[in-house]
Amino acid sequence: MRNWLGSISVFSLLVSVAPALAQGNPLRDAYFGETHIHTSWSVDAWVMGNRITGPDDALKYAQGQTIKHPMGFDIKIDTPLDFIGVTDHSEYVGVTKQANTPGSYVSKLPEAQPMIMKDPNSSAEQNQVFSYLLKLAASPPVKALMDPKVTSTVWKDNVRIADENNKPGKFTAFCSYEWTSMPGQRNLHRNIFFRACEHVPDYPFSALDSKRPTDLWDWMDAQRKAGNELLAISHNANVSDGWMYPVDVDNTTGRPIDAAWAASRDRNERLIEIKQGKGQSETHPLLSPNDEFASYELYQTILGQPADSGRIDHITGSFARQALKDGIAMQDVRGYNPYKFGMAGGSDGHNTGSPYRQDNFFGLHANADGSVERRFAGVLIGGTMDVRLENPGGLTGVWAEENSRASIWDAMYRKETFGVSGPHIKVRFFGGWGYDAGVVNAGNWVQQSYEGGVPMGADLPPTPSAGKGTAPHFVVWALKDPSSANLDRVQLIKGWTQNGQSFEKIYDVAWAGDRTPDKWTGRVPAIRSTVNFDTATYTNDVGSAELKTVWTDPDFDSTQHAFYYARVLEIPTPRWTLIQAVKSGLPPPDVVPLTGQERAWTSPIWYAPSAEARKAAQAGTTVADLKDKGAAVVSEDELKALVEGKAFWLKNNVTGEQFWQSFTADGHTTVYRVGPGAEMPSGFGKVALDGYEGLTSPYKVEGGQLITFVSQDAYAYTFYKLGDAYYAARSNEFGYANYQIVPPPKFAINPLDAVVGRFADTLKLTEQQRQQALPFLKQELMQLASLKKDASLSPEQKIERLRAFSVSLDEKLKPLLDADQQASFEAVRDQLRRRLIEQVASKAAGEAEADVKSWFTRESDK
Amino acid sequence: MSDIPQERLSLRQRLLREPLVHFMVLGGVLFGAYALQEGRRDGVEPSRRIDLTISDISQLVRVFHSQWRRDPAPEELRQLVEEKAREEILYREALALGLDKDDTIVKRRLAQKMQFLAEDVAAAHEPTIEELKTWYEANRERFAFPPRIGFRQLYFSTDRRGAKARDDAEAALAKLAGQTESASIAASLSDPSMFQDYYSDRTPEFLGKEFGPKFALAITKLASGSWQGPIESGFGWHLVYVDALIPGRVPAFEEIEPEVKQAWLAERKSQAWDKTYRDLRAKYMIFLPAPPEDAPAHESSKTEQSTPPGRKDPS
Repeated sequence: MRNWLGSISVFSLLVSVAPALAQGNPLRDAYFGETHIHTSWSVDAWVMGNRITGPDDALKYAQGQTIKHPMGFDIKIDTPLDFIGVTDHSEYVGVTKQANTPGSYVSKLPEAQPMIMKDPNSSAEQNQVFSYLLKLAASPPVKALMDPKVTSTVWKDNVRIADENNKPGKFTAFCSYEWTSMPGQRNLHRNIFFRACEHVPDYPFSALDSKRPTDLWDWMDAQRKAGNELLAISHNANVSDGWMYPVDVDNTTGRPIDAAWAASRDRNERLIEIKQGKGQSETHPLLSPNDEFASYELYQTILGQPADSGRIDHITGSFARQALKDGIAMQDVRGYNPYKFGMAGGSDGHNTGSPYRQDNFFGLHANADGSVERRFAGVLIGGTMDVRLENPGGLTGVWAEENSRASIWDAMYRKETFGVSGPHIKVRFFGGWGYDAGVVNAGNWVQQSYEGGVPMGADLPPTPSAGKGTAPHFVVWALKDPSSANLDRVQLIKGWTQNGQSFEKIYDVAWAGDRTPDKWTGRVPAIRSTVNFDTATYTNDVGSAELKTVWTDPDFDSTQHAFYYARVLEIPTPRWTLIQAVKSGLPPPDVVPLTGQERAWTSPIWYAPSAEARKAAQAGTTVADLKDKGAAVVSEDELKALVEGKAFWLKNNVTGEQFWQSFTADGHTTVYRVGPGAEMPSGFGKVALDGYEGLTSPYKVEGGQLITFVSQDAYAYTFYKLGDAYYAARSNEFGYANYQIVPPPKFAINPLDAVVGRFADTLKLTEQQRQQALPFLKQELMQLASLKKDASLSPEQKIERLRAFSVSLDEKLKPLLDADQQASFEAVRDQLRRRLIEQVASKAAGEAEADVKSWFTRESDK
Repeated sequence: MSDIPQERLSLRQRLLREPLVHFMVLGGVLFGAYALQEGRRDGVEPSRRIDLTISDISQLVRVFHSQWRRDPAPEELRQLVEEKAREEILYREALALGLDKDDTIVKRRLAQKMQFLAEDVAAAHEPTIEELKTWYEANRERFAFPPRIGFRQLYFSTDRRGAKARDDAEAALAKLAGQTESASIAASLSDPSMFQDYYSDRTPEFLGKEFGPKFALAITKLASGSWQGPIESGFGWHLVYVDALIPGRVPAFEEIEPEVKQAWLAERKSQAWDKTYRDLRAKYMIFLPAPPEDAPAHESSKTEQSTPPGRKDPS
């Protein structure tokens, strides 16, 4: 029994000739390919009913030829691909042919004698051989025919198929297979891509050999050492139940993650599949509560789990953006980053050919989802996979010199790649320090971009020594798929870390039409939807064909590790469920949205502070620091007394945010006074919304810790007492104790009173002067408050506004003051300006502005 | 298909074939296994015996070597042997419990092997050149080369010009009437674009990817030797000067013999499998259950289905 079970994960290998790397096209072109497809040669595909088509058909389909869906109807790709790697397995194939080849190894085996035909065209003889094969197939595997000498020729057969379809310059067929590790139904799958096919091993490393990624990496290292370059693309982190991106312990080995583990992962796992037929693995609304586009093609399921099992897929540890954030936090605190991956996309289709468009969705799993009735019925494949949640396959985009195995593989290795949800959206992304704002309009902008910085997937070059205080510039360009919808916007997604906490922010950087970013949130409003729900169509009346810009990070802090990647969104279009509802007359399933926005994701560009810059970073407090100072861990009983049935204010000492948290006596908690604008670190879930709605989540005091939950994932606080002060370390913040219980903040009923009071004291104003100055100060205060939050202004513009405010205030106040008072006012103003100028010169503009504001509001704020 | 060529055998592989090396590498394990066997040989039922031969064990070593590019250490080899035994034991126990019966996956996997084997039988025959030629003559259209086009294009962006893009292109075309392909005014009339100004020798398929299917279809219908259009792409409107059009053609057999052979083989495999299955199917009859008493009368109580159920396009 184990033999055939094992064969699920023993996969085919292909051998072939790699052409030399092209030198002639340094600006590179975009190529689109499928990096994850199964044919009938995959046992699971066969089981689901794919019995007709093999790897040859997959390669034909990718090149635009019509093939058969397992249910017998024709399928054809919308836009042919530039490359593909079939990720199958095989066994037993080719044995008969070997037996009938005079002089071959098989032909001499006693077991093979009955297969040899004197006249291969005699149907009588064919039948005779076939009956023998039937006997063979019905009995346990024939060891002689499982010999590597036989199976390696079988793989040669597969290689022949890849080689016959590999046309350097036109179409690339890779040697690839899937490593299908699934401990406890947790998807840890990786697709393995070989650079060349001449040196592929006789046997691929299968999950039968080991389910541990570390063993796979060791094997890959051994292959690489022997001159056989290869890389892995992990997929479906979203259904890994939290095991794809661990930060502390590798669950498959039980060993702590260390520098060697990180280096091994980084060396071998160059890309991740960000989207495929079973959902996207970019992020989840719970991890990215401020990302209004995060609720997209979610597919939260444990694959293959019995339908009556009560397990639920864990969210933490299952998404790429959080892994990128954890990665830089690990880099900052521990000195290594296992998660510096690039983006890819695939389908994971099991029909030999996959759909990539909403208007061409013929399913991914043979009979199980091969008809609209079955798809709409919400069939549960393998017990838990809801067909309605499926969506067309993604694709991998690469920027490569030419369409060849070596050139495309090298692009994958250096992560100059992007994933698309299906349409061939092209996106370029460069980072550097000196890009001119007009560079995207130059005829040779691509060349200038390569020369002035680095492309997607790379690290920003060191900050130029003369560039102190400057922020990196990013060139981003996106072009729609000519056969798909227009583009809505390009976003840059930034992640950064400080004192063990990590953060994310999304910037709209280029968008179609004359929309203005919302003044308070900085977000570009949603584009008008052209979707007609009666006909399930859309028009390109809105949106752009091309979007491009040069963007500078307005919040850049040179002391913090950061990453940036671009996300391109198409305008809203009907989802396949709506399209097929209209065609079939059935009501559309209500468990999925009716429309969606197709998208592309680039590989990130990383920023690492220099040693010098890192030294200037704001120092945090670690648990070790607290212990050194003599802090004691708060005991469980003390903690229960502190928490249960109580409420208190906590301050995040990294961001300065304060929030009020209530704990009921029977185990429920809610965080209040956090808005969507609050700078919340990773792992807080949707606290803003929950606080607003008054929703609770469970908590418990256990093992000396306060354990809170975001969905089902535990985040534990350990409390320390130092003198009278309570500090807390959160379990996901890498040894930092970033929280402190603080006294309830004082609220000024009228913030103006405090400012005016302070102002009056400083200048010794009379009561009459106070009354006269009040309206001007009130106006100034409101202007400053709104200025701070106005995200539509650049830092430079803000400082300009600030200057304008103070000049106008000066003009209004001075006539009210006597000579002495005017002198003191001048002195205060001067001091303020000097401070402002110094800060602008040395620090990020945003901080300076905050400080100026604090001169007026410091007391009233708190 | 031939056997593994001798020159592909590495030193390692040759060494692996040396009995002496086998002996040295495997000595420890074999000795242990042998000693174990000797002690228990009497009274051990054949069904309880797991016999491993030298060739079994050298295969384990070979597989290990192909994975790790080195020989297993003695301890690793012991584990491989234990693994092998474990597999065999569980397999036998599972069979004894009848776990292979009524297991859908086992059934389907075996059915899959049937197809592979049937196709192999078909593929065992090497076609003659005459066979291939005859077949090619009947299937020529499948191998047709697409037309190839060389052209210069001017872009009128809908991003920039909105709904006016087409009219602007029309107006520009009027100015370009009678102008040459390299007319200096051309660039000034149109928008800068992300495309090349000139494309040589491109197939409609490439143009479909680059400009969209509408453009690819339209351009093949344009007259060459003058500015034409406007034609629409996925990005806006274009004026096009086609300067080279190589019509599509069906190649001679000799040009594409390997591809013909491949296609011939694929078709033969598929036919062989269809026939094999038809023959097998003919030996069987399917009996459906009798419907309940109150079922509609037109349902016959004992239906024989002689053909597989029809399949239809779901879309």
